[in-house]
Amino acid sequence: MKRSEFMHVLRESCCEPAAGDRAHRIWPAWMPRLAFSEAQRGDTLVVIFLRGAADALNIIVPHGEAAYYSQRPTLAIARPDDPRAKAADRVMDLDGFFGFHPALRPLLPAWQQGQLAPIHACGAPDESRSHFKAMELMERGVEDPAGPASGWINRHLASLDTGNPSPLRAVGLGEAAQRSLQGAIPVTALRSISEFHLAGDRRIEQLMQAGLSALYRSEDPLGLLGQETLRILDTLERLHPESYRPRQAAVYPNTEFGLGLLQIAMLVKAEVGLEVAAVDLGGWDTHFAQGANEGYMAELLGDLGQGLAALHADLADFHSRLTVVVMTEFGRRVQENASLGTDHGHGSLMLLLGGNVVGNKVHGRWPGLDREQLFGPGDLAVTTDYRDVLSEVCGLRLNNPSLSQIFPNYRPQRFGFLRGG
Amino acid sequence: MTLSRREFLRLAGLIAGGATVSACSPIYRQLSSAPGPVAGWPPISTWDFQVLSRLSYGPTEQDRSDITGLGWKSWVELQLDPESIDDQAVNWRLRSLDSLRSDPDTLADWDKEVLIAELQQAALLRRVYSRRQLYERMVEFWSDHFNISVWKGDCWFLKAIDDREVIRQHALGDFRELLWASAHSPAMLVYLDNQANESAAPNENYARELMELHTLGVDGGYSQSDVMELARCLTGWTVKRHFWQGQFTFNPDLHDQEPKQVLGRRVEPAGQQEAESILDELAFHPSTARHVATKLIRRFVSEAPSEQLVEDTAQTFLATNGSIRAVLEKLLLDAPTEWSAKVKRPNDFIAGGLRTLGADTDGSRPVQEYLGQMGQPAFGWPTPDGAPDRSDYWINNLLPRWRFALDLAQNQIGGTTLDLKRIATAAGGEPFNRVSELLLGTRLDPELSTGLLEAIGSVGEQTQLQLSLAGLLASPGFQWH
Repeated sequence: MKRSEFMHVLRESCCEPAAGDRAHRIWPAWMPRLAFSEAQRGDTLVVIFLRGAADALNIIVPHGEAAYYSQRPTLAIARPDDPRAKAADRVMDLDGFFGFHPALRPLLPAWQQGQLAPIHACGAPDESRSHFKAMELMERGVEDPAGPASGWINRHLASLDTGNPSPLRAVGLGEAAQRSLQGAIPVTALRSISEFHLAGDRRIEQLMQAGLSALYRSEDPLGLLGQETLRILDTLERLHPESYRPRQAAVYPNTEFGLGLLQIAMLVKAEVGLEVAAVDLGGWDTHFAQGANEGYMAELLGDLGQGLAALHADLADFHSRLTVVVMTEFGRRVQENASLGTDHGHGSLMLLLGGNVVGNKVHGRWPGLDREQLFGPGDLAVTTDYRDVLSEVCGLRLNNPSLSQIFPNYRPQRFGFLRGG
Repeated sequence: MTLSRREFLRLAGLIAGGATVSACSPIYRQLSSAPGPVAGWPPISTWDFQVLSRLSYGPTEQDRSDITGLGWKSWVELQLDPESIDDQAVNWRLRSLDSLRSDPDTLADWDKEVLIAELQQAALLRRVYSRRQLYERMVEFWSDHFNISVWKGDCWFLKAIDDREVIRQHALGDFRELLWASAHSPAMLVYLDNQANESAAPNENYARELMELHTLGVDGGYSQSDVMELARCLTGWTVKRHFWQGQFTFNPDLHDQEPKQVLGRRVEPAGQQEAESILDELAFHPSTARHVATKLIRRFVSEAPSEQLVEDTAQTFLATNGSIRAVLEKLLLDAPTEWSAKVKRPNDFIAGGLRTLGADTDGSRPVQEYLGQMGQPAFGWPTPDGAPDRSDYWINNLLPRWRFALDLAQNQIGGTTLDLKRIATAAGGEPFNRVSELLLGTRLDPELSTGLLEAIGSVGEQTQLQLSLAGLLASPGFQWH
């Protein structure tokens, strides 16, 4: 088989939107002229995906629900006024009905400043309860598996020309770009900025880079990615990541997640053209030993809370131009299982953090936890589609009017989670 | 280099007589046949090169002679019968990894880090040095399909047993046997929490992945209720503790004794046999046939196959009662028109580079680090879907590949050595084009090779060879197979 045929197959199989997305067929999918709109770039968007289906009920706890306590005899977090529990083990009340898991204490300042907005009972229509199918559909932003193969963030980038030539317009933290980032616009995975260079003798390194420039010339996806990687090498070289110091109030957790957020903050402050960053926090599939105030989940929440709080503090000067989204593929069963854990459920939650969120309020219509209010085998119902939240993010904060390109065949409802302008 | 059994024994005898055998002794190297390009590498047709690139971890000099001599179809047939291929050389490479020979009951007493390191080393050494290449590719395939991360609970030692007794035992055998072994594997029961699945409040994790990932596939026709009912059948499937830790056991006290309803069938109370009868049903289910067929096609043939190929392959699966060997034989020999390019996964890229260039590696931590940086640490994929097999997943992370290329060519990777002199000698008077033929199966496009050589400029002969090697390993062409 000839190389040109190889390339053709690659484009067909992985870099071209699926059949049905006819508008994309006219141009080679990666060409910038695909753009449908031109606009000033909006906020820097940070998308945090909690992989494994995070248990919403133990993140923003509905302590006003009797059923929460009856269904979770060992996993429930004690009511804010429960005299039998130590103060540090009780829910931190937010509005008389919901409260933080105690491990989210670091997020209290952001809540009090009105910059944090949870959206409860949020999720997708998919009922497979399969992590992999649910993540796939959610990150592509589609309901129908035959819809566009690209990710929703990539379609946002493809449908909005911000005139930003930066190779760091969109970055996936980690060893591979997140599914939501994949698609026609080349996007680079960045594991560690301080390690993003070739190693060894300086002269050899330069010769190798020159050689790579000569090799990665073509206009196919791999060629473009190679060119972009070389430009990122150039850009990052001038950043001196090893000398970066976060603001004093910002204490990032010493974890992969914390390091990822720190690097995002560094890129934002360096003003290198970052528009979207995606970062993952995995391990939320807590069938076993989920625990209440101790256990896997409390540890993960500590990482999440401390990380978000650090990012928020570190980027204090950028709040008006920053939106952080936290999401997960679905929620977990209301009733706990025999192994101090929970099985796959349905509704979950999202968090929005930033200077333009309508904060200090738990959004979303609460469907209740009584038996007849539950969905399927005993799960929290979904009352807000995740695409409603992301549509407000894209429309109001990223200046992208092409919502039907980003979320095809979906008409988003406007709830007012965010302010425009 | 091939050794006859007699030659092998003679050399082995010599070594056994010596007082010490170190990993760098010349006899060791000769015996274990670092398959280095000593006398140059024979020419090879484009198709044969592609077959080797896809069905092995990368063409050695020996592979090139073999496939050219036998014809590609006979080469595939031979590979499908791995027991007939002498593989002493790789066994010799593996000899220092004591855990591979330890009794399964003693593995829990090992140091965790050491045991995991040996498991990872063994996998890489086998990919680089085994002559049973298609078998090793199938071992990787099933290790993904029945993914288990060594970082969960006791899986750090249980996976070592699973690797031997489940994956390697059945990689080219019958799917039903493989599925049965996996379901009874303590590593799997721990990894997917079934050891904590009790009648009082079942844990659905394993039951769901058993149908979604291991057999029927997510759209294979099961419901949430089937998941919950199968989980009830699987209550009491657990792992022995204390002295017998690491062995499968069925605990009737934890088992749900009521009848169940799975996939439209009433399951009468029968203890352990309830789930076993469903395993048999799942193993031969048409949805399973399609699911496994689609994944095999994706791995070996095409990421966008025709419906006909999927259907034919699934039919072979059903007609042969899930004979993995028979399905592969039909798929690989009958479908050459559908072969289309794939981006190498990190395993393919790293093992391929080492194997093709005849590197001498011990597979230890420094080289494993690169796999981690590229996102495919051995036995470390956290979620039960296994490392992805999609070109667009792996394409976005070029830098660590470039770094590996440069570090390997400069001999900067601990425990791994390239014999540059041998490569230079074998490449003869036209080193760049010859190395290009070695790594890419063809000469690099003249425009690109001129560009690369101009960029390298006038440097010493050795530096030029190193940068050429690094450039070719890092080039777009070497990212495909």
